[in-house]
Amino acid sequence: MKDQDKKKIVITLRWTAIIVTSYLILFGRGKVTDIQLSHFLIAVYLLSNVLLTFLPKTWFSNLKFFYPLVIFDTGIVTFGMYLSEKMTTDFYLVFFLIIIFASISRNFKLLMVMGGITALIYGVLLYSWGLLTAETGASYTLRIPFIFIMTAFYGYIVQTLTKEKRKELTISEDKYRGLFENANDGIILLRNSQLQIADVNREAEKATGYKKEELLQKEVLDLFGPEEIEKARCYFKEVVENGEGRTDFLSFMRKDGGMLEMDLSTKRIDLGDESFYQMIFRDLTEQRKLEKKIRESKRNLEAIFDGIRDQLSIQTPDYQIFRVNRAVIEKYKSTFRELISRKCYEAYYQRTLPCEKCPISVTIETKQPASSVMKISEDNTTLQIFSYPILDEKENLLSVIEYVKDITEEQRLQEQLIQSEKLAGIGILASGVTHEINNPLSGIIGMAEIALEEEDPSKNRDYLKDILICAQRISEIVKGLKSYSRAAKKEDLSPVDLNEVLEESWKMVCLAIKNPPLEVIKKFQPIEKIQANIGEIQQVFTNLITNAFQAMNGGGEGKLILATRSLKDSVEVKVSDNGLGIPQKYLNQIFDPFFTTKKPGEGTGLGLNIVYRIVTKYEGTIEVESKEQVGTTFTIKFPKRRDDS
Amino acid sequence: MSRKILIVDDEEVIRKFLKIHLAKLGYEVKEAGDGEQAIEQLGKDDFDLLICDILMPKKNGWEVIKEAKSNPKTKDMPVIVLTAKNEDSDMFKGYDLGANYYMTKPFSKAQLLYGLQLMFNEA
Repeated sequence: MKDQDKKKIVITLRWTAIIVTSYLILFGRGKVTDIQLSHFLIAVYLLSNVLLTFLPKTWFSNLKFFYPLVIFDTGIVTFGMYLSEKMTTDFYLVFFLIIIFASISRNFKLLMVMGGITALIYGVLLYSWGLLTAETGASYTLRIPFIFIMTAFYGYIVQTLTKEKRKELTISEDKYRGLFENANDGIILLRNSQLQIADVNREAEKATGYKKEELLQKEVLDLFGPEEIEKARCYFKEVVENGEGRTDFLSFMRKDGGMLEMDLSTKRIDLGDESFYQMIFRDLTEQRKLEKKIRESKRNLEAIFDGIRDQLSIQTPDYQIFRVNRAVIEKYKSTFRELISRKCYEAYYQRTLPCEKCPISVTIETKQPASSVMKISEDNTTLQIFSYPILDEKENLLSVIEYVKDITEEQRLQEQLIQSEKLAGIGILASGVTHEINNPLSGIIGMAEIALEEEDPSKNRDYLKDILICAQRISEIVKGLKSYSRAAKKEDLSPVDLNEVLEESWKMVCLAIKNPPLEVIKKFQPIEKIQANIGEIQQVFTNLITNAFQAMNGGGEGKLILATRSLKDSVEVKVSDNGLGIPQKYLNQIFDPFFTTKKPGEGTGLGLNIVYRIVTKYEGTIEVESKEQVGTTFTIKFPKRRDDS
Repeated sequence: MSRKILIVDDEEVIRKFLKIHLAKLGYEVKEAGDGEQAIEQLGKDDFDLLICDILMPKKNGWEVIKEAKSNPKTKDMPVIVLTAKNEDSDMFKGYDLGANYYMTKPFSKAQLLYGLQLMFNEA
């Protein structure tokens, strides 16, 4: 029934009750004890119903409103009866009989039938007592419809209350059922006595693999395998003793024989007169598998982390160490506890501020990987430090991995390698130089012999001039060779003019190669000097120019372009040839050590690797562009010196 | 009639003193500064001896000798290799290609005379 209809019915019933009650009080036989109080009472009763018309209709479905209303009405009617002497004891009895009927009756129709019968019996009694035939019989006659009306009033109210209560109970039960059935956890209800399964939800069916009907035939212990049954028995014994219990060490045996690892909690609950045990369990099988994998993965990672011979540590964005590998502990002869939570620069380098050129600072600032080489004067080591960011899904920096590689030995070997490659280069150069020297030497010898034989001294001047030219050529060659063979030592860093070295290198290679390229284009722009070892830079250029010559089949038909220019932050050197080009498939390998496409004995495969090592040593970059039968261009960029910018 | 010799070398000074020496000995001397000029000269004229350098622009000495030896007109002409390449493998290559004498730079007049003597069987 709608709230609006309820309101109308309640108000109409009350109007009827008010009219009949007022009539009985005011116009019945006998006198009124206190006429003013009676009038006041009727006025309150009337006003209360007027007031009800203004109240929201939803209140009429609210039990909290209904109970006080019933008590109020009963009180008013009872008090009215008390004030009027016309209300005799028998009427009281009949009135309260109606209230009792109404309160115990669940059926409105039956109640109305009972009300009707009571009114009829009362009417018969009044008639038998001769009260209906007397002069004032009308006031007694009115008692019969009054009884019927009050029955209807109370009956309706009781029925409404009952319906509301039932509705609330149904809603509450539906809610519970919904929660029970749709829970993500399995729920099994056990009867108190034998732990017999009384109810299960869908998740429990799914998890165990049994249908509900099958489960309802079982006791809970039937769900455990032979290996688990004793543990399960102990668990339930404890639950029965304590009223609740939780475990994650028990596993159900599924219908298909598989084990269902679970997190189980059981609690005693009282539903009506009966006690139940409510088991709530969550399937941990997948979680356990995942946990196992995570544990294995963690163990593996820890083994790798500790197994790495280089130093690895993880720092927070404020430089605090929170994880280090064994290599760090061994290096600093320390313990994990001593290093943890300390700032890395304090713990490792006894500094009060982060180190200069520290890649971690760069990573903290840019959230990008960074690296740098640091020379530690205390133990004369060279460390290459890499830092990598660990970011969360929102790209916030969580921590920084610091990877420290001791490259002291590697650097020493690299110096040696560069030096040996240089010596090899000198060897190759020497054979070219021999040829180059032998030609003017032949000129000197030949011309000298002629001069000695010449009888006309005036002609000797011409011969001597040739001899001098040849001797000067030899002198130039020797000078160039000396410059090339300068040892590349670390201490030899000096400002290097790349244009000058490129020119010198080009000349040197020309000495070693008989056929210089047909065309050499030099596009040298004024550029800033870089801080480097001149011998190493010369080695870079001679290697590239030699390669270019070889790519041009000895140079004869080729075109070589040597170019330099100054960029914003760097200086650039380009060496281009129009030779054979490098096949695309080799482009990624050309800087690898010992990679060569030349025949055995013709190349060591170290030339470009040495170039790469030297360029990167000075924090430069090298790029190659090449197309077969078109040519190759190597582009080298060295960063400008800070004091130049 | 004097014998005609073609000197092939990219070094002008070497051509110059060879020419002086050979002219004094009574030979008629022609010069070529690279391999291509040499082939051209060989085609134009008849020579009794070819003195040829190896490392030269355009065409090297090996190619000149090969062409000379494959040409019926010049195949019997004696050849002296005159080069700064002093390795055994180069010398063997020269003889394989048909050179008659292998002379390495720097050289003396005596060595030249010896070579000429071998070629022409005269001093």
